[in-house]
Amino acid sequence: MRVKKSWWQSGGIRIAAAFVFLILFGGAASGIYLSQIPPEQPIAFPHKTHVALGAQCAYCHPAADWGPNAGLPSLSKCWGCHQQVQKKSPELEKLAGYVQRNEPIPWVPVAIQPDFVKFNHQPHVRAGIACETCHGPVSQMTVALPQPRQNMGWCLDCHQRMRPNDFVRLSDCATCHY
Amino acid sequence: MSEKISRRDFLKLTAMGAATTAVMTGCGPMSRYVVRRPYTQMPEYNQTGESTYYASTCRECPAGCGIIVRTREGRALTIEGNPNHPVNRGRLCARGLTAQQGLYNPDRIRAPRFQGRSNPATPGRDLTWDEAVQVVATALQKPPQRIAFLLGLAPDHLYDLVSELTQALGAPPPLRYNALAALEGRTTLIEAVRRLFGSPALPYFDLAQAEVTLAFGADFLQSWLSPVTYTRAYGAMRQGNPRRRGELIVFEPRQSLTAGNADRWVPIVPGSEAHVVLALGQRVAELRGLPVPEAFRAVRPEEAAQVSGLPLEQLETLAQTFATATRPLALVGGSALTQPNGLVTAQAVLALNALVGNLGQPGGVFLSAAAATPTPLAEVKALVERMQAGEVDVLFIHGVNPLFEVPAALGFEAALARVPLVINFAAFPDETALKSDYLFPDHSPLESFGYQRSLAGSDRPAWSALQPVVVPLYDTRATVDVLLAAAQASGQALLPYRDEVDFIQQKILPLINAGGFYTAPEILTFWSRWLQHGGWWTPAAGLPTPTLERLPASFGTLTPPTPPAEGAFYLLTYANHLGDGSGANRPWLQELPDAMTTVTWNSWVEIHPRTAEELGLKDDDVVRITTPYGSVEASVYRYPAIRPDTLAIPFGQGHTALGRWAEGRGCNPAQVLPAGHNAAGDLAFIGTTATLTPTGRRRPLARVESKEGVYGEH
Amino acid sequence: MAEERPAKWGLVVDLDRCTGCNACIVACALENNVPFVGEDEVAYGRALYWIRTQRYWEGEYPEVTPTFQPVMCQQCGNAPCEPVCPVYASVHSEEEQINLAVYNRCVGTRYCANNCPYFARVFNWFDYELPEPMRSYLNPDVTVRRRGVMEKCTFCVQRIVRGRQKARAEGRELRDGEVQPACVQACPAEALVFGDLSDPESRVSQLARSQRRYHLLEALGTLPRVTYLKGVGNHGG
Repeated sequence: MRVKKSWWQSGGIRIAAAFVFLILFGGAASGIYLSQIPPEQPIAFPHKTHVALGAQCAYCHPAADWGPNAGLPSLSKCWGCHQQVQKKSPELEKLAGYVQRNEPIPWVPVAIQPDFVKFNHQPHVRAGIACETCHGPVSQMTVALPQPRQNMGWCLDCHQRMRPNDFVRLSDCATCHY
Repeated sequence: MSEKISRRDFLKLTAMGAATTAVMTGCGPMSRYVVRRPYTQMPEYNQTGESTYYASTCRECPAGCGIIVRTREGRALTIEGNPNHPVNRGRLCARGLTAQQGLYNPDRIRAPRFQGRSNPATPGRDLTWDEAVQVVATALQKPPQRIAFLLGLAPDHLYDLVSELTQALGAPPPLRYNALAALEGRTTLIEAVRRLFGSPALPYFDLAQAEVTLAFGADFLQSWLSPVTYTRAYGAMRQGNPRRRGELIVFEPRQSLTAGNADRWVPIVPGSEAHVVLALGQRVAELRGLPVPEAFRAVRPEEAAQVSGLPLEQLETLAQTFATATRPLALVGGSALTQPNGLVTAQAVLALNALVGNLGQPGGVFLSAAAATPTPLAEVKALVERMQAGEVDVLFIHGVNPLFEVPAALGFEAALARVPLVINFAAFPDETALKSDYLFPDHSPLESFGYQRSLAGSDRPAWSALQPVVVPLYDTRATVDVLLAAAQASGQALLPYRDEVDFIQQKILPLINAGGFYTAPEILTFWSRWLQHGGWWTPAAGLPTPTLERLPASFGTLTPPTPPAEGAFYLLTYANHLGDGSGANRPWLQELPDAMTTVTWNSWVEIHPRTAEELGLKDDDVVRITTPYGSVEASVYRYPAIRPDTLAIPFGQGHTALGRWAEGRGCNPAQVLPAGHNAAGDLAFIGTTATLTPTGRRRPLARVESKEGVYGEH
Repeated sequence: MAEERPAKWGLVVDLDRCTGCNACIVACALENNVPFVGEDEVAYGRALYWIRTQRYWEGEYPEVTPTFQPVMCQQCGNAPCEPVCPVYASVHSEEEQINLAVYNRCVGTRYCANNCPYFARVFNWFDYELPEPMRSYLNPDVTVRRRGVMEKCTFCVQRIVRGRQKARAEGRELRDGEVQPACVQACPAEALVFGDLSDPESRVSQLARSQRRYHLLEALGTLPRVTYLKGVGNHGG
């Protein structure tokens, strides 16, 4: 006697299920991949060149020293140097365009935490942590690159290496989440 | 079916999946959806990620509390009290704390506009400010006697400018009106002070140091004159006095927040306050061994007891408590003044303070440092009559919403239709704005310069400064600037001021040498300190002491209240945290539970539970309240602390305009109030009687007292 | 850098000063991005007040009087909300000695709210969107919660963290009264006092030793960090 197969055992359904799985898996894989490549910026800002010329991080991102956000330089700060430096390049022409139109440059942030994470640069800078520790070798980057796996474990990994009684404080949920 | 999916489709689907996952997981690529636009030029006062604080003045009510607004990257975040300000000392009330919901309110008027008052022949259109100034300039060239200005109680600098403008034009002086001031009987209080002490000022009561306080109708913890000042003083009176805990006794027909916090609430018949004060005064004078002044003899204690429903022996106990106290104080306001006997009550209470000798003493009565402007309904009535008679060609309105705040019985709406040109400077599309020809929106208070003289709540001479804390969001313009530009454009040399800031600087110029806690060699330095500190005041407390030359032989004629007819009730209205009704479009004020009933987002009518039981009414039954002047509907709230012969409806809801959060909620008691006024010209509605008819419908009130919610109850 | 002493934050509510004016509710809501929910949701009992004023009627007319009692999270030392959370979103902060609601962990089981004897925890039943441009006043120091998350009073921990970071940057200890939650800062009657209970000289410690002190539902042994000072006067104030 021929045993009647259940509907979910039919070939078509199984192939369809395989496709759905593949699509989801592929999607997830590319989603993760997308998160690890730098976003497109309005100007391909070469960090490398600026650091090589001796510009300190805090020259353009001074707020790291006193507040939660490092901040982005204002247009007038860029132009303060670049109106002296008459080097021809398509990227600099874009900058000149923004200056002419007096229009802010719509930068896309790269190192960004979700709303429920309250990161503050100031105590980290004051504790003598170098910018590169978290932001990677910016002096070798053109546009800033996202750092992989910057998640809570990554934060705690470093906090754990502090003195034991500091770890209680630094592993407290309320240190970052409120 | 599988063979139908080509390789190309597969790739497409994969890409879609990728995008979905990317959005759904929200990891990494989230940054791609964020854009950061840094300043083109960083302002020097701004530090990235750091808050910048600006001192300004709250304009949610006329009290003039000092605020400090926390801003970041050009956005106003939270409002905090200015700790140095003499009015509020860093504290704020619920209204002041929601000012940013006015600034960022989505229903603001965003540009000057001609409305055409729904006349199809003249369709509405947006205007430029040049056209607007031209419209105002033309309006100012009308015959001066036919120009009228109706202003609110804030800001003072606009009132000062318009006063100068009307004087230069030869037009009638600007008129001020505000429902909050009308409900608290401010004009009556000013008039009583003028009659007894000779200057039209507001009294300042030193509640903090008083030991026994009698309050007649004044709801000073929620709406009266300067609630933050008096709440601060109340706290000190209870626990801050090293001598003893202050005692508070409140006389009013419906228990307000103040009476709820009192040691004793005396629910006397509405309209009988004057009788009680006069009788008390007689006994206090006798107990203190003083000659009883002639004016206090107008009422025999037995008569007062009979009229007020307060037994003689209780009257005697109260008189003894007051007469034997070390620092007695009597306050008056609200329901004790907004009635035909209001001016008598006000004078009697002030005279009672004089009788126990607390004028200018700690825990006693002082006068505000400068003259206060009254806001009489009688003059609004006169204006309405002129408008009706076609004697007003152009009406300017700022800071007041007469179609909502003025009793409908006055006929303001019909009169407004007869004015050929109505120019409204409202920031919100309120009832009056929608019936005006032109809307020339003023900035929000948080975008404005200005000043407010802190009269009611300051223990020292004080001017409170306003300054913009953010760049104006929309195409609005300061009304002072519009008027100055129009005055210039009209070709006459009317006012010697360049713009608003120049005007304010010239007005505060005399303060440089007036002994403030800071000064400066010239106006620009003074101006920067004025803005930095949020105003100007003297370093030490000190207010003029009222001097009573001699008491008049009589405070005026006294009419005993008429008891309501069978089946009718006394009707009263009071202001809660929604104030004069302009707070109804702040969603957090709507969401805030009323202090006594915990009702949110709606109106209710308070009925004594016993009365409700007799009438077969339960909570949330919708009833119709009818007076000779109109009728409104509201849900019943059985309120245990109201006289059984009295109904009360809170003021502030019942808007037909004013934006999404205010419109179509509750009822406006101004629809059922009489247009009558007392001897001082103030609204007199206490003693109005109303009938109550059940409609058979129910509408649950969103009350917070039921933690599980009220929708499940029925 | 000054040697650090862990703070034990505490709040004193003086009911003799409290008038029930509710300024604390609004101050809290606008500091902490608490959304307003609208009339229907309030009527369903879903309002998101982190602090509320409980009003009780006492006595019979005409001797009737209300008593007001502001109630917020009591920051229990032995908190009933903590052991029931399956995902450790309701945890005790060792550093601040308060109870936390960690939004990013919360999955919305609402066990904590059911176990809280003070009704201090509230739940976001929906996403409450603010129309433009109202989002501009949101406080960037506080997470905007989304649907399905429990929330509650945090003693304005963002202000505590900010204040401590500022003090540390200046190499000093926090001064008494330097950090105040929004409700304490606004309270017009000065009925609320906030500070460090581990410092016996702080104002909050002195008040918490008052003879008028009591804790809410003391018999439950929750060890609340909020002390009430009972009202005095004819009707209990």
